[in-house]
Amino acid sequence: MKKRLYLELENCIGCRSCLAACTQCGGHEERNRNYVYDVNPLVNRQTMPLMCLHCENPACARSCPAQAIQIHETGAVLSALVEKCIGCQNCTIACPYGIPKFDQEQNLMYKCDLCIDRTKDGIPPMCASVCPSNTLQWLTDEEIENKKKQFNLDNGKWVTSMPYLEGETNVKVNLPGILQGITKLF
Amino acid sequence: MQAKAAVNQKTGNTLNNAFASHFAKSMFLSVTALAILSFIGTRMFTHVDLNLYGYMVGTIVFIGGFFYRFIAWGERPPTKLILKKGLKLLKRKSTPKTSVEHLATYNFIWNRGIYRWTQHVLIGWGCILSCFVTFPLVFGWMYFTMDDNGHYNIIAMGMKVMTVPADGIIANLSYNALNITAIMVIAGVCMALYRRLKNMQARAEQNFLYDFMPLYMLLLVSITGLALTFMNIFLHGAGQPAMSLIHQWSVIITLIYLPFGKLAHIPFRPMSVLARNYREHYAEQGMKECKVCGDQFVSSEQSKDVVDVLGVNDIEFKAKEGHHLAEMCLPCRRKYRIAQFSGFPTHEVKVKEANQNAKG
Ligand code: HEM
Ligand code: SF4
Ligand code: SF4
Repeated sequence: MKKRLYLELENCIGCRSCLAACTQCGGHEERNRNYVYDVNPLVNRQTMPLMCLHCENPACARSCPAQAIQIHETGAVLSALVEKCIGCQNCTIACPYGIPKFDQEQNLMYKCDLCIDRTKDGIPPMCASVCPSNTLQWLTDEEIENKKKQFNLDNGKWVTSMPYLEGETNVKVNLPGILQGITKLF
Repeated sequence: MQAKAAVNQKTGNTLNNAFASHFAKSMFLSVTALAILSFIGTRMFTHVDLNLYGYMVGTIVFIGGFFYRFIAWGERPPTKLILKKGLKLLKRKSTPKTSVEHLATYNFIWNRGIYRWTQHVLIGWGCILSCFVTFPLVFGWMYFTMDDNGHYNIIAMGMKVMTVPADGIIANLSYNALNITAIMVIAGVCMALYRRLKNMQARAEQNFLYDFMPLYMLLLVSITGLALTFMNIFLHGAGQPAMSLIHQWSVIITLIYLPFGKLAHIPFRPMSVLARNYREHYAEQGMKECKVCGDQFVSSEQSKDVVDVLGVNDIEFKAKEGHHLAEMCLPCRRKYRIAQFSGFPTHEVKVKEANQNAKG
């Protein structure tokens, strides 16, 4: 059963477990590849994670002169192949969400690969495995569909993609209700 | 002036039109060049080593695959752009230094880890040195003759360059060159395989054809090569013809495979020098300022190039504010996305992004 990463952004409590877990994934060499942001840092404590959304038409891969960014058959957009990346940094400029990171010393780009050794076998990625607040989940399409039904649809508040994102993505995002003053219908 | 340019263009076009494709043209030119070099090197084909005939065929098939793959690759918009602009910048003062660091000493792999660097130096230099020895022999660009007095003559491109005693250091080094390089490659490949057992990273994202096959092929080439020497010295040549065939076969398969798998990085890595020049040169020309915070984060040229390349792919990321998303620095771009999710303009709050390293 194909599962996807699914984000419910407003659940985030800012614990940064996902960043810590990311560093421990095989191949990540103890560096994390994701982000957690304060939404309004001077006023309240709301945080949100920002992950690679694994675009269906990934700008990072399209802009790479070396074809170093491969798209896995599961749809995951992989990190740069270590022997191919020539260090031009086009991908960092192209990604609409600013996800790829670049190491100057190693002349190498690295980005979220959706923990491909795990997810290719249906095991959730590190971040979703540890998230204590159900912000990051690993769900089947059917489960995501059911989630969708729990929410008050047709109010424009559940949007998994456009216009809040720049294109269709493999990772599904649920927009926060709390910040928009809407109570979720759990 | 104008007319002359037009005429030039026309003749240029007719030459191109004579071939069905770039592929046919490059193929024709390289095979011709190889033939001419071999003709000169072998003094009109009088010194062809027929044992090496298989290698010659293998090399020619390899060149075909090589052009097929690399012409298709060079046509991709981002590749074409870096190639075109990078080649114009080859005269930069920093080119020799960058080339050595990127292509010979691999400083950047050192920064990825000493183990990885050692492994690559063994494999990479082992292979490069083997090629320096093998190719001139195969195409007759270099061969040896023996004088009566126990001296060897080394003949390169039909000219005598050196006469050395048959039991001297240089002679011994040249007989053993391929044995030494074979041992380097075997050690390097073993390191690579060991790393796959030990380190889960090396195991990620890999499949047999892309990842293991080149390592096994390199191993096979080196081991059969060493076995040839072993049979010559200790078995008085027993089994040599069969082993020679296996060795020849493995080299040919490796060559043919090269443009399509992991080893394709070899002919193609020099582009990292072009990319570095491109970044350095245009950074000096003028930097792009982030539309939100004003930080200079990339050269104006590259920012524009990336927008254009995405445009060719029918990707356009316009922000509501009218600029392209590529015109924001990375932290601002990330905050801008948070702002799209929450409805609150996070990117306009002048606070540095906090704690992104999972370091407590
Ligand atoms: C033109 C110079 C070359 C450059 C710049 C280059 C660059 C690289 C880089 C950056 C990697 C990734 C290493 C890592 O991060 O661990 C790599 C891997 C590799 N290179 Fe090269 N390379 C070159 C020449 C060669 C040559 C001549 C060979 C010989 C066949 C070779 C064989 C390999 C192999 C087998 C790997 C894979 C190692 C593994 O999978 O662990 N390279 N190369
Ligand atoms: S979010 Fe960015 S890094 Fe991830 S696939 Fe899309 S373009 Fe690439
Ligand atoms: S930095 Fe590496 S992965 Fe990114 S576009 Fe350049 S070559 Fe491709």
